[in-house]
Amino acid sequence: MFDTALFPLTWRVMRCRLVASPLTLAAGLAFPAVVVWIGIRDSYETAAKFFFFLFPHVFLIAAQDMVRTDIDGGALENVLFLGGRFRRFLWAKNFVLAGTVGAYTLLLFALLSAWGLAVGKFSPVHAARFGMGLLAGFYYIGLAGTLSYFLRAGSNALVLLLFQAAAVIGLLFSVTSRTGFLDYAASGRFPGLGSKLLFGGLVAVLPNVVVAGRLAAFGAEVLAGLALSLFVQDRLARGLELRK
Amino acid sequence: MIEAHRLSKHFGPVQALRDVSFKIRKGTITAMLGENGAGKTTTLKIILGFLRPDSGTVIVAPGRVGYIPDRPAYFTWLDGWTILGLSDGQPAGNGEDSGARILAVAADLLFDPALLRRRPGSYSAGNAKKFAYLQNLIARPDLLVVDEPYAALDPPSIKCVRDLFLKLRDAGTTLLLSSHMLAEMERIADGFIVLRGGTAIAHAGIKEWRLLRSARTAPDLESVFLHLTGS
Repeated sequence: MFDTALFPLTWRVMRCRLVASPLTLAAGLAFPAVVVWIGIRDSYETAAKFFFFLFPHVFLIAAQDMVRTDIDGGALENVLFLGGRFRRFLWAKNFVLAGTVGAYTLLLFALLSAWGLAVGKFSPVHAARFGMGLLAGFYYIGLAGTLSYFLRAGSNALVLLLFQAAAVIGLLFSVTSRTGFLDYAASGRFPGLGSKLLFGGLVAVLPNVVVAGRLAAFGAEVLAGLALSLFVQDRLARGLELRK
Repeated sequence: MIEAHRLSKHFGPVQALRDVSFKIRKGTITAMLGENGAGKTTTLKIILGFLRPDSGTVIVAPGRVGYIPDRPAYFTWLDGWTILGLSDGQPAGNGEDSGARILAVAADLLFDPALLRRRPGSYSAGNAKKFAYLQNLIARPDLLVVDEPYAALDPPSIKCVRDLFLKLRDAGTTLLLSSHMLAEMERIADGFIVLRGGTAIAHAGIKEWRLLRSARTAPDLESVFLHLTGS
């Protein structure tokens, strides 16, 4: 499915789409602004925590509306995508989007690191957390891309956000005075298989949690999820026909 | 240029094509005719790789292929110049300035180049069709497949497109046109493929077609078509 000749075309189409999308632009620009605001109002450490936990969501917002709208809108029935090239174009979108948003977040991370160095708070662990966050971001692109074969417009990203909201609300309601799930998550130690599986379910919808160093083991689950979503997308793309 | 052998295609319970076979020679204009739902667009899409046949094969000779759909659609966030720029990978290929080539082809099509600053989604249906011609013709295709070539075009544009088809054919381009405009097809086509209910019921070059016409004492293509399709 790899067609490197399609990458420049895909990049030009995706670049224009990202720039033309008010939501993506707003999310991409508002995020660093909020990080800076938190850093000024509170501390660099708090701003860094916020950054590492939430920057994977920039990938999710950028991954909205990846496939179905292009198919239903008829834009793929174009001379640019003859001979099955539309399949490889949809596949290439994953990698172009991952590279584009990855480069943007790397720039933000470089600025955050420079800020940390300036105030003497930078830690090499931040690089590892950034790497885990990238993994979570790539997972979002893979998962949202797969969902986008079935869901129109931005509903692929919206569905994930709704699941995340439900998971967070569920966690809040589950809080008790005794040692509970959140404490296990905070310590990175789970007493039994049940709580591990439950946390694995949470990681599947909110992979951002793997940026916390103690939970890095669940990074393997995110990696497996990424591989699975790309595999499913590959199968979906291979079987795709433009019937409109 | 194109050789289709026993193409079949189902959409769920509907059999869209059944054992459709034909050959199209290089440097000719072939008209694909048929009633609504006869399988014309399905055949074109299989040739172009947008659909896969359930069985059968299509061989298209190597070369640059162009395609103009019945109702062209584009990425809504791209303007005309950007879309033409995306075709940079398949430019004129003879060292000709691409900007000059675009303006020359636009003039041939009576297409206002000022529209290129706007998004094709905002064009009228006729201008969207002409833009699709422009996008394809700047790349000098060896094979041009057109679904409803005159749909949405005004009479002067129809004449321009007809002249372009003849010019392209004389330059060695192969054209496959799917149309309901029988009189127009009769004026320019060298051969015909008639589909009915997903089956090719006639496939003839212009000489055979003339014989068929005289044998049936039919005055024009429309009469032959109506007789063949039992309409």
